[in-house]
Amino acid sequence: MPPHIEPPRIQEKPLTKPFAIQLESVAKKYGDHTVLNNVSLSVREGEVTAMIGPSGAGKSTLLRCINFLERPDTGCITVEGNQIDAGTNFTAKDLAALRRNVGMVFQSFNLFPHLNVLRNVSIAQERVLGRSRKEADVRSMQLLERVGLADKAKQYPSRCSGGQQQRIAIARALALDPRVMLFDEPTSALDPEVGLEVLAVMKELAAEGMTMVVVTHEMQFARDVSDHLVVMANGTIIEEGDPEQVFTNPVQTRTREFLRAVLER
Amino acid sequence: MDIFLTILQGVPMTIGLTVSALALGALGGIPLALGRRSTIPGVSFVAVSLIEILRGIPPIVWLFIIYFGLGTALPMLDPLTSAVAGLGLISCAYMAEIYRGGLSAITRGQWEAGEALGMGRQSVLTFIIGPQVFRVSIPAAASYAIGLLKDSSVAYTIGVSEIVYFANDQSRQSSDALGPFFLSALVYVIMTIPCAWATRALDARLRMRVAR
Amino acid sequence: MNILTDWPAFLPGLLAGLGVSVQVALLSLLIGIPGGLLLAIGASSKTKLVRILIIGIVEIGRGTPALVVLQIFYFGLPASGLTLSSMGASVVALAATTAAYTSEILRGGLQAVPQGEVEAAGALGMSRRDTLRFIVIPQGFRVAIPSLIGFAILIFQATSLAYTVALPELLSQAYSIGSTTFNYLSVLVLAGLMYAAITIPASWLTSRAEKRLARHL
Repeated sequence: MPPHIEPPRIQEKPLTKPFAIQLESVAKKYGDHTVLNNVSLSVREGEVTAMIGPSGAGKSTLLRCINFLERPDTGCITVEGNQIDAGTNFTAKDLAALRRNVGMVFQSFNLFPHLNVLRNVSIAQERVLGRSRKEADVRSMQLLERVGLADKAKQYPSRCSGGQQQRIAIARALALDPRVMLFDEPTSALDPEVGLEVLAVMKELAAEGMTMVVVTHEMQFARDVSDHLVVMANGTIIEEGDPEQVFTNPVQTRTREFLRAVLER
Repeated sequence: MDIFLTILQGVPMTIGLTVSALALGALGGIPLALGRRSTIPGVSFVAVSLIEILRGIPPIVWLFIIYFGLGTALPMLDPLTSAVAGLGLISCAYMAEIYRGGLSAITRGQWEAGEALGMGRQSVLTFIIGPQVFRVSIPAAASYAIGLLKDSSVAYTIGVSEIVYFANDQSRQSSDALGPFFLSALVYVIMTIPCAWATRALDARLRMRVAR
Repeated sequence: MNILTDWPAFLPGLLAGLGVSVQVALLSLLIGIPGGLLLAIGASSKTKLVRILIIGIVEIGRGTPALVVLQIFYFGLPASGLTLSSMGASVVALAATTAAYTSEILRGGLQAVPQGEVEAAGALGMSRRDTLRFIVIPQGFRVAIPSLIGFAILIFQATSLAYTVALPELLSQAYSIGSTTFNYLSVLVLAGLMYAAITIPASWLTSRAEKRLARHL
């Protein structure tokens, strides 16, 4: 076996950037079933973290804990300096402050079907940021243009393809100027071909330095775009590190098995 | 307490009226539902018109048409018969619509499977589709029955001695005008709420047993 | 009986009655549906006591025949010192019934809004109130529209119960014409057709609304 050579780009990246997200001993149970078993994870500013692993591993639950769509039983979560300890009582204000910096994109898009595309992107800007309808619409149009869907502004989501809906959902999240973006299997509900247009938007976002956490089954994306790879199984992180390293030379047997299963199909 | 016991005397009549009308509807609804689906020219139109007219006129008006309108010519139409006839007719229309909903809930595959086995349309309807339609119709029919139980109170207006009739009577006789009506409301609530809960539970169970 | 001469003679009296019926129905819906929405929202309250209380009110309201509610408001309440006109009692009673029934209809509509959209609104930082106001209620109402129209038809029919409190609505008018002309059948059939002339087209509206609903959802 040839000696493994560290890819050069990891050395160029200074590791001194501050943490954007820190999860400390996050645990969650549904009844007797442990979904997350004291998971800790840190994500640095501008870093793209990909989470992979078999289904039921707890990837999506962990991701949803970051913005408290799922409330952990215990554990402490810090996003851009806003800290919430799940074990203590926290106010709606604390939650709003934490979510203020976090954008999220869902597997099932979750656009609002009764609002047209433009209103979908604008409404939270108006209600959360207090922008006027005009300001919000200007910003929305910029973002729709950026994801290549300015011509769909007056359409309803049901008139858009899945790939278009997901790009609109990305624009909707970006409209609040988040500092962190969470992606929960953003291409799983899409045909592979259509998924590519969504991945292209995500790559662009990564290149611009957005801090991203992506739960995905797209191994190619995880390998090429992410800076940090997290492998989960049975509610814990079994391995994490440089993507190239994990893909070519995984330390854990479980990781090897998983990668063989998904890559050799 | 005496008032309450007096009002309770109306319960058998309320229940009897409801059950009779429902039985008429459960039977009469079948030809109406089938007529609605008929391909024979005119039959479907007649069935739809009947259903719409029966449902489109308020129950109390039907009772008046039968009791005061027809009753003058037909002396056998006493209050109870008129009430059963009126509520029964309306039930036919509602039950027909419930059966129609049940029929459309059964997938085409069931018809196709029956016919592929060499059964005629008639026997597919009788042995395959019919039983499933009754089964899916039970929850809707049960909630209709609960509604009918409450609607049967209109029979008091033509002098049928059911719950509200007694309540009304007591309200006039006693110094307490409000009490008897509250008690009658209580009697209805006691009768309908457990039925409503049972219906919901039944609905959940039956949902699993029918091919849709 | 001679319909050709009778019916034109009955018509003015009956039309006046129909006007009263429509008025009572519209007022009841206007008051009752917002009430139903409040109950529907309250029924999903986070406080258990509020939830139980509201579900109890709704169940009692739905379990009691509208006729009995009407008797309570008209004949019963004067005993406790509050006297309502027959119009007032009819509107209040039918509005109360409307609130109880539409709360269930609207609750179903609100629950039909996918949880994912509520989560998306939460992830966007929208407050519970805003999520309810801009995302859940508009869609829940839309889902509920066919059932609401169906219920409105029933309430219009239920205005005939106000005959028992001597409100001069359509049925009362028909009955009083019948008692002076002894031509009960003719006048009652005409009144029945007048009810049907409103309820049947309205029920067509329900099925059209159901079809339209398929858009954007």
